[in-house]
Amino acid sequence: MKNKKKIEDIPFEEYLRKLEKIVQRLEEGELTLDESVMIYEEGMNISKICLEKLNKTKKKIEQLVIESEEKYSTKPFSEKEGEDTINEF
Amino acid sequence: MINYTESKIYTVSKLNKYIKKLFENDFNLQDIWILGEISNFKLHSSGHMYFVLKDKESQIKCVMFRGNNCNLRFMPGDGMKVKLRGDVSVYEKRGEYQLYVREIIEAGKGELYLAFERLKEKLKDEGLFSEEIKKKLPLIPQNIAVITSPTGAAIRDVITISLRRFPNLSILVVPSLVQGAFAAKEMAKKIDFLNKYFKDLDFIIIGRGGGSLEELWAFNEEILARSIFNSKIPIVSAVGHETDFTISDFVADLRSPTPSAAAEMTIPDKNNLINNLSLLKSKMSRAIKRNFELKTENLNSASRSLKYQGPENKINQYYQYIDEFSARLNSRIKHRVELYEERIKKDSQRLDSLNPWAIIERGYSICRKIPGKEIIKRLKQIEVGAKMEVIISDGKILSKVEKKEVVSS
Repeated sequence: MKNKKKIEDIPFEEYLRKLEKIVQRLEEGELTLDESVMIYEEGMNISKICLEKLNKTKKKIEQLVIESEEKYSTKPFSEKEGEDTINEF
Repeated sequence: MINYTESKIYTVSKLNKYIKKLFENDFNLQDIWILGEISNFKLHSSGHMYFVLKDKESQIKCVMFRGNNCNLRFMPGDGMKVKLRGDVSVYEKRGEYQLYVREIIEAGKGELYLAFERLKEKLKDEGLFSEEIKKKLPLIPQNIAVITSPTGAAIRDVITISLRRFPNLSILVVPSLVQGAFAAKEMAKKIDFLNKYFKDLDFIIIGRGGGSLEELWAFNEEILARSIFNSKIPIVSAVGHETDFTISDFVADLRSPTPSAAAEMTIPDKNNLINNLSLLKSKMSRAIKRNFELKTENLNSASRSLKYQGPENKINQYYQYIDEFSARLNSRIKHRVELYEERIKKDSQRLDSLNPWAIIERGYSICRKIPGKEIIKRLKQIEVGAKMEVIISDGKILSKVEKKEVVSS
């Protein structure tokens, strides 16, 4: 659980950078067999995490409705409703 | 009929001087702003500018001296609509009244332009534009908000482009006025509101489609600039304009020339990212496969070299050595035997040539004493009357010494 939270906090680009580094190290071919198997597995895991991160968000187009300084709601965005949905405080 | 009195006769210059005074004492004619269009503009080599300011019905001569026009940020020209600030007075030499211009502003954008410049300088000095404090946008945004008019093309473009590039994106549309006197304040409040209740937003795009300077003016107002600056959530400014910048552009963490461009710049292409990922993955697989092959080959060559250094090989090596050695030994002995044979042959030849019988064959003879068989080489070895044998090739002759005689050779 703790580990999972950590994954959440690390941005995609950092994982991408790690992955690129792993590829580079593997391509250099100076690792022992054990090391290369280990970082290969790590790389595969990271690419899985990256893909998960890409697919994590659900598509959602919503419109903010501010009711007061402290109160708001959201509703699906619809272009047609137009000007009257602009709300001022 | 007309009564000329001395006191009522003016000289021309006195009259003009008087009229000039009238002008200069009338505060309605001093330090005033006049709106009109420039025509007949001339820049004299002295640096003074002469032109006529006119409207549909009327015109007035104007002069702007070098000391006043040296700070102009643009070159006035015919047809330009301007606001002039100056004093109306009289050019006594010609008896013409004219406007002595101190300041020229391009009409329409002039004042706004000045306000813009002033605010820009002020905020810049305060450090609101400094690059170091600009926040970085995440590569993969998940939740973004767009503050703009909910009806314009801008929001439609942002949504369309964003979803085309990254289909599973969460977009929060925050409707707002984007032009008019209240727009800046409203947008500023919405930024503050999002900062308070939507801390998870990756960034906020704020903008509108293109328009005139007046229509875009809200994005040049200080209240909005401050709100953008104070926002903890990164702000992307997306005001439609090609050349100039707005104050919002300068303060924002990222500026883009249009709302569409903002979406293009901030939302990554998901397909590209996925392709890139699979490329990395296949590179990784290829690399590790190659590593395995390399290691296998290393292992094979190691076991080969192990075998090479093992005892079996050593014994074989010794065998080979022995074989080689005995062969060498044989050949050396053979060589030596041959050498001896050769020498013996030579010796026996030499022996042949030394064989006394061979000499006797040629007619020489040997004399030996009897008895004793001592070979006689000198006269003193034998006495007259003594016996001796003469050996010749096919036998010997017994003889007796008759006489000794020395032969000198």
